[in-house]
Amino acid sequence: MSESGLIEQERYTCAIGALQSVVAIPRALPILHSGPGCGSMVLGFYERATGYAGGYTTPCTNFSEAEVVFGGVERLHSIIDNSYKVIKSDLQVVLTGCTADIVGDDVASVVGEFTERGRPLVHVETAGFKHNNYVAHSNVVNAIIDQYVDGFVLDYLPRSDRKLVNVFASLPYQDPFWKGNLREYKRLLEALGLEVNILFGPQSDGVTEWQSIPAANFNILISPWYGLPVVERLEEKYGQPWYQFPYLPIGANETRRFLEGVLAFADSLDGEQAVGLDAVRAKAFIEREEHAFYEEIDNLATFLLEFRYGLPNHVHVLHDAGYVLGLARFLLHEVGIVPKEQFIVDNTPEQHQEHVRSLLAATSEKREIPVRFDPDAGAAQDVLRNVKHRGRGLIVGSGWDKELAREKGCDFLLAAAPCPYRLVMTTNYVGLSGGLRVIEDIYATVLASYA
Amino acid sequence: MSKQLKQIAIYGKGGIGKSTTTSNLSAALADMGYRVMQFGCDPKADSTNTLRDGTYIPTVLDLLREKKQVDAHEAIFTGYNSIYCVEAGGPAPGVGCAGRGIITAVQLLKQQRIFEELDLDYVIYDVLGDVVCGGFAVPIREGIAQHVFTVSSADFMAIYAANNLFKGIQKYSNAGGALLGGVIANSISHPFQREIIDDFVCRTKTQVMQYVPRSITVTQSELSGKTTIEGAPESEQAAVYRELARRIDEHTDSKTPAPLGPEQLKNWAASWADQLVAIEIGEVRGEKEAI
Repeated sequence: MSESGLIEQERYTCAIGALQSVVAIPRALPILHSGPGCGSMVLGFYERATGYAGGYTTPCTNFSEAEVVFGGVERLHSIIDNSYKVIKSDLQVVLTGCTADIVGDDVASVVGEFTERGRPLVHVETAGFKHNNYVAHSNVVNAIIDQYVDGFVLDYLPRSDRKLVNVFASLPYQDPFWKGNLREYKRLLEALGLEVNILFGPQSDGVTEWQSIPAANFNILISPWYGLPVVERLEEKYGQPWYQFPYLPIGANETRRFLEGVLAFADSLDGEQAVGLDAVRAKAFIEREEHAFYEEIDNLATFLLEFRYGLPNHVHVLHDAGYVLGLARFLLHEVGIVPKEQFIVDNTPEQHQEHVRSLLAATSEKREIPVRFDPDAGAAQDVLRNVKHRGRGLIVGSGWDKELAREKGCDFLLAAAPCPYRLVMTTNYVGLSGGLRVIEDIYATVLASYA
Repeated sequence: MSKQLKQIAIYGKGGIGKSTTTSNLSAALADMGYRVMQFGCDPKADSTNTLRDGTYIPTVLDLLREKKQVDAHEAIFTGYNSIYCVEAGGPAPGVGCAGRGIITAVQLLKQQRIFEELDLDYVIYDVLGDVVCGGFAVPIREGIAQHVFTVSSADFMAIYAANNLFKGIQKYSNAGGALLGGVIANSISHPFQREIIDDFVCRTKTQVMQYVPRSITVTQSELSGKTTIEGAPESEQAAVYRELARRIDEHTDSKTPAPLGPEQLKNWAASWADQLVAIEIGEVRGEKEAI
């Protein structure tokens, strides 16, 4: 961050951007108790972010001067009331913006009036002056757990389903590949013999899946830091232990490491909580996946030989901590592109930076990978402008890095928000298939540069 | 030559006698022939009651609550000797943001150029004095009031509040904000109270505009919904208020105060506490040691 405290090119939104986590739950309705600009800001930042009830569908109190002076609870009450009349939804989440939280509107009591009547309504403070959306995502999930899921705990007794797991991984929409990634996690984990609550996106069963969260035997967190408060809360509430894989498992090596980690964790639970996975079946699955993966890598050999001097040999990634760690490992060990300066732009809290740093350092015994934690991606670009490495470079980042790549004559892979120059629908970057897709995307841009 | 509108803000801790002092000041200035507006900037909206026989008036924010576009004239009511009375009003206690309410109300009158239109000589803002947030500082910002007077008794809590206000004035003084005219010492009945106030103004580089004694006449007038000027014009207390009005009318140069720092204020209060104990036990202090 600059000395002035100003930052340029923030690659995330303020806390209220976590409304996209609600949008990502099938048939859930976010209700904004905020100024009219907040929703537009979020909609403008992410691509195709409308979902079921996001974007211009999202009800908003349009908090303005009268609400500031007199408080906005009456208006909130009527917006909630009217929302029920015009849009069907299974779960509603009121997200408050800065003004409502400064003024101190008693949102809980308004929401209480509706929940007493049996409405599945939740509220959460998402004042932008408090957090960014990486942090607020956990607050939203925890609010739903505390205020909604908890009401079903008698139907779904804690840890009553030994094979069931809850997965907390990609931040919906902030991760441009969130839908594909969550689908891939679900597929991989189910293949190990687990049942999976994936919770967000089209692979989720919506509220019925959320209701069963307490029944899960354990939780899986795939993230270096964001989402951590969720698994901690669940451990506290329902006694669920959790397994953390601290970055995105991309490619064969890391996916195997991830799946074996899950298997070992499941294996460590015993007595009544023993998961009872079929280890032979799980191992066979991993091998079959790897076989398919390496067949493609084999087929690449001729291409790589032919193009060896015209392919990128080093990479800079500007992304969140989970991606930087995952891509650095995959690109170094499985693609042969050496990670040079890396930029973690998610505003990683200081207490987690050391861990992330050590994970990155563990990527290679032979090379040190320089890393900079800075939410100021503009400053990161300035650093990049001044570094020079031999050979063809690759920049993996957001749409805002496209010009920089052009300036530096680097190949460019758009893989972070904001993501305006790329259409992503169901693509996944995690798992073995995700690794192959990363390779496809990198070399497609390289090949496109040949006349 | 067009006449110069004089805008004054009167601050002070809640319950210290701000509205009483302000209303009597307005009444005395009106009696001197000036065209005066009193603008209550307290969500309780009772600043102008004694100018209007103890009645409440609809507030600017009451009107804003009902409709988006408000004509400021709807919030202006006349009281004793044609004084224009306005109350900013505010939300119900514990709801919304009273500070923003004050800003909104003051801006509304300013934008609609009411002061010029009514050809006023004086606008007197009566402001809740703890200056808890930016909203309550608005009369001393943005070139609204030129002079600030603070009402304080000799009680330490009132002086703390005055000292806080001085900090606010000091903060905005470089940005064209209002400056401090002086302290209106209220409820001064004993010589030591006068000494405390005198000592405080000396240390903070300001002055006392008037010493106002505690008086049953004020209470009697207020109970009948009137200012002392209106209810007991011949009383000594009315003369005190008239003298205050005369001094404020003649006052031209306000200054940046020198508020005490937290440690200074603590030490200052502690030294006075010792002296008060000495007075209470009858210890005599003079050039020689006590007998």
